Amino acid sequence: MHYLAIIIGGVLINNYIFSRFLGLCPFLGVSKQVETATGMSLAVIFVMTMASAATWIVNKYLLVQYELQYMQTIVFILVIAALVQFVEMVILKTSPVLYQSLGIYLPLITTNCAVLGVALLNISEEYNFLESVINGMASAIGWSLAIILFAGIRERWAFAEIPPSMRGFPIALVATGLMSIAFFGFQGLFRGILF
Amino acid sequence: MKKLWDTFFNGIINENPTLRLVIGMCAPLAVTTAVANGFWMGIAVIFVLTASNILISALRKIIPEQIRIPIFVVIIATFTTVADLSLKAIQPDIHAKLGVFVPLIVVNCIIFARAEAFASKNNVLLSTVDGLGMGLGFTLALIVLATIRELLGNGSWWGIKLLPASFEPAIVMILPPGAFVTLGYLLGGLNLLTGKTGEN
Amino acid sequence: MADKNFLPNQGELLVSSSPHIRAKETVDWLMWQVVIALLPAVVISVYFFGFRSLFIMMVGVASAVITEAIVQKALGKAITISDGSAVVTGLLLAFNVPATAPWWLVVIGSVFAIAVVKQTFGGLGYNFINPALTARAFLLAAWPQYLAGNFPLPLDSITGATPLAILKGTAAGTLPSYMDLFLGNVGGVLGETSALALLVGGLYLIWQKVIDWRTPAAFIGTVAVLTWVFGGRGGLFTGDPLYHILAGGLMLGAFFMATDYVTSPVTPKGRLIFGVGCGVITVLIRLWGGYPEGVSYSILLMNLLVPFIERWTAPRVYGVQTVRA
Repeated sequence: MHYLAIIIGGVLINNYIFSRFLGLCPFLGVSKQVETATGMSLAVIFVMTMASAATWIVNKYLLVQYELQYMQTIVFILVIAALVQFVEMVILKTSPVLYQSLGIYLPLITTNCAVLGVALLNISEEYNFLESVINGMASAIGWSLAIILFAGIRERWAFAEIPPSMRGFPIALVATGLMSIAFFGFQGLFRGILF
Repeated sequence: MKKLWDTFFNGIINENPTLRLVIGMCAPLAVTTAVANGFWMGIAVIFVLTASNILISALRKIIPEQIRIPIFVVIIATFTTVADLSLKAIQPDIHAKLGVFVPLIVVNCIIFARAEAFASKNNVLLSTVDGLGMGLGFTLALIVLATIRELLGNGSWWGIKLLPASFEPAIVMILPPGAFVTLGYLLGGLNLLTGKTGEN
Repeated sequence: MADKNFLPNQGELLVSSSPHIRAKETVDWLMWQVVIALLPAVVISVYFFGFRSLFIMMVGVASAVITEAIVQKALGKAITISDGSAVVTGLLLAFNVPATAPWWLVVIGSVFAIAVVKQTFGGLGYNFINPALTARAFLLAAWPQYLAGNFPLPLDSITGATPLAILKGTAAGTLPSYMDLFLGNVGGVLGETSALALLVGGLYLIWQKVIDWRTPAAFIGTVAVLTWVFGGRGGLFTGDPLYHILAGGLMLGAFFMATDYVTSPVTPKGRLIFGVGCGVITVLIRLWGGYPEGVSYSILLMNLLVPFIERWTAPRVYGVQTVRA
């Protein structure tokens, strides 16, 4: 039940886009088509889950062990960058097909603040290893849900007569705001049961 | 001298990172629930941006081309940590409210973009001015956004009640929809003023 | 869009992209049919909540129509207020606030619905989410003191909890009878209380073929089944589906909001899926969510899924095959 709370919280209630404002650059940048948004989502889910695991281990057995917590930001960003590089190499060697669909998104992910964000939040929430991994995956799925829904909507307005000065980022931000209003519907879901 | 002024104002006006280039958008949306939060976030970014610009510019001739990116990351992460710990010491309440967004300065695209596009190609003086201008542009954008949100969402500016008691604050303005919609129309309004149009 | 001149001006196009309307039925005709269908609920609302109710509705309609005209004028577009769509939006927004709401709340809601949700995205046919409902959810988040908690009770000057809040246990009070619920003699927002009036209007729209029966049938049917299975305190299959159908905004949402041409699917199968989805989310929120009522959020959330529902249910064009790159 406790894990279910983390999942529902990460996907619906504290959605990374609509409630926590994490990972907005790729959300606004890679959401023009559903296909590319889906590719990016798979890469993000993969990396955020792995990064949650890796940073948790590094935090416990390196930073906490040797009282180096003040190095958290530096160490985490290096771990994430190395992880992304490593994942890219492994995918390239083992599955060229997967590389073709995910490869172009991987370099973009190092600077996705959702990845470092989830790593830092896992530590500040004092999650254990399994909770961290579940939180990483659930948060990434929530982020993916947001970007894929957004891409579906964005494809629809390709031919709309949007006022010229609102085209591009302005309309994308307003649309995200309206979507976050709809997501208010999930506020308080299962309170008293799961939370 | 003219070049210095041009570089300085470029970051504030023509290439304002938040309002014109629209990069590094997480913090501007997340922390502008109150003007004080936006201000301190801006100070932290000015510090990290200027300090990393100075160091990267100073080392630009000795950093090997191939490994410049990891080196930039380490430099930026170091200054971010300094900013994070200093803010915690000076303004513990604000630091707690800003949460992960202070350490997340390390992945803010603005800092990396200036390192790569400016500091690694220009001298220390010019890079300092560029860092200050870009940082100030970021800070001003946050203050504008936070002013609108705090005033409408709480009736106050920097915690001081400005609007009369009969004004009923629209709480939604300090919630996520208020952030997205306000920034959307702010960018649209600036486009209208400058005659810029985007693509769908 | 590379070049604005590439597209014809709005006035030159008779058919917009999303509402696929049969030739003899114009947008104007459809919208005024909806207004006619809402009239029984207007009358009942004025009867139970007094002339304050009529005033709120007039403010809602007037501010929506004026906003539409001003924005279209400012954008240099043809002014289309006579098509009735702004009238419908303003009236539906007013239907979603209680009689105690201040007039400025309704004005802000109408401006938000028309200027932000509809015209910013290109006007009628291009908004991806229901304007009246988004505005209502916006107002609820902005000024919860007016849109949550106690609502005016009919024929009375006092306020009390809505039936759904009592049912959920978040507010005290006695549950009204089925007959009171059916007629509308209960507390609530202006247009939602009378199931009878809304049913008459909804059936009229189905008879006139303005709306498809599938959406409301799937929506109400799903709510009935799920509340029967999960809604009871005595275990599974002990819920009271009739109460859940008659209480709250289900009738209003199912017949008048979930059937909106622009923000709901065009395919028959898509409409069934849309209705079922609305029903599932409504019950999720009513039984386990943070609000007593989930109808409006369920429709808003399903609006976000419409592009995908249409993808999945679009009839395959003969001879066309998807090519994977």
